Amino acid sequence: MAATIVRFVLNGRPTEVMVRPLMTLQTVLREVLGYTATKAGCKQGGCGSCTVLVNGEPMVSCLLPVEDVADQEVTTLEGLTPAEGLHPLQQAFFENFATQCGYCTPGMIMIAKALLDRNPHPDRAAIIEALSGQYCRCTGYEPIIRAVEDAAHRLNGGRP
Amino acid sequence: MTVQSYYLPRSLAEATALLAEHGPSLLVMAGGTVVMPLINEGISTPQKVMGLRRVGLNYVRHEEGALIIGATTPLTRLLEPDVIPMLREAARHTATWSIRNMGTVGGNLFVPPPAGDLAVALLALDAEVKLVRVGGERTVPLSAFWTGFMQTVVAADELVAEIRVPKPGGRTAFRKFGRKQANTPAIVTIAVHLIMADRRVQEARIALGAVGPHPLRARQAEAALTGQPLDTATIAAVAELAAAECEPFTDAIASDWYRRRMVKVQLGRVLTAFLAEG
Repeated sequence: MAATIVRFVLNGRPTEVMVRPLMTLQTVLREVLGYTATKAGCKQGGCGSCTVLVNGEPMVSCLLPVEDVADQEVTTLEGLTPAEGLHPLQQAFFENFATQCGYCTPGMIMIAKALLDRNPHPDRAAIIEALSGQYCRCTGYEPIIRAVEDAAHRLNGGRP
Repeated sequence: MTVQSYYLPRSLAEATALLAEHGPSLLVMAGGTVVMPLINEGISTPQKVMGLRRVGLNYVRHEEGALIIGATTPLTRLLEPDVIPMLREAARHTATWSIRNMGTVGGNLFVPPPAGDLAVALLALDAEVKLVRVGGERTVPLSAFWTGFMQTVVAADELVAEIRVPKPGGRTAFRKFGRKQANTPAIVTIAVHLIMADRRVQEARIALGAVGPHPLRARQAEAALTGQPLDTATIAAVAELAAAECEPFTDAIASDWYRRRMVKVQLGRVLTAFLAEG
């Protein structure tokens, strides 16, 4: 079977790529389209650094053949970032020192976005449960949990 | 990447026809959470792969006395309030959010231990598996589904299409014991279904995961529990029997010795919790 053309919506924009059989969404994002916010960590579905949203649902793009997302809506961190400034989640991660090496950050922010979309007022336990598939080897997680709490506060109209 | 062809059939009929055409050379995956890591790592190098995400088996239906689950229903769907409580609990303790959005109920039957926690709950609920091939279908009780480590009764031309879960007639309990609370392989996973009558156990099903080549029923423990009052002496004896009859292994998570020990301790606690409920 030769390469095929796959169409999907990436960050609101209709996108068309030519792919080899079973090429993953992660590979397409990073190596074909140059969307490198989505990281390539373990490629085993274990670290969460490649988390993207497919129709709003978090998935690990390293295990997802891009042909499976044909005609679906994919959101990456690039899609969250406004033209000017930062998304409230990004701002909260920045101000709460939730980023050190930064490798886990895009996945952390995407899963946090999915959480806040469903539950605008998550308690600490809900945040921890949502983040439990995302590995961070720098921060010890506390600043990340604080950042999500802070982002929820900002998105609910609270002052930073 | 060595994969030459990736098939994404749009119906069960199309999928079984592809399987009949290509035979065992076609690697079947549903959510990809088991197969894709092996391919990414170069451990598995299939030429032909079939993905089941578009075959239309993503559904949960309620029938008289049973829950019918399409094989490629994502695990996340089982967290909904209309699902049997023990299955919700088991789904919550299986993998993590992203993986539950990808991994499927049917796929969980093919996950090697110590993973595959949902399957342990399905086994305790006496689920049945519908297998479909070109020109036929059959139903197999889950208790007869596994034949060895990563081996099942599913023939080369068959696909798991549906899982039928009888609604529990008694009390249920699920406990996954691991090294942390979430996102962890099990040391032991326990699912129990008990029917009580006149303060005695009328019927018992005890399913154990991560302590054998596949999820197991603790038949000797079940027999020892049946007909007995649920008291501390019975519980201790039953937990001892389950620990003796399971077939634990050693891996990076726990030793076989520790797993066997934890079967005794954790099953004892699960049964004691029933006792406390009265």
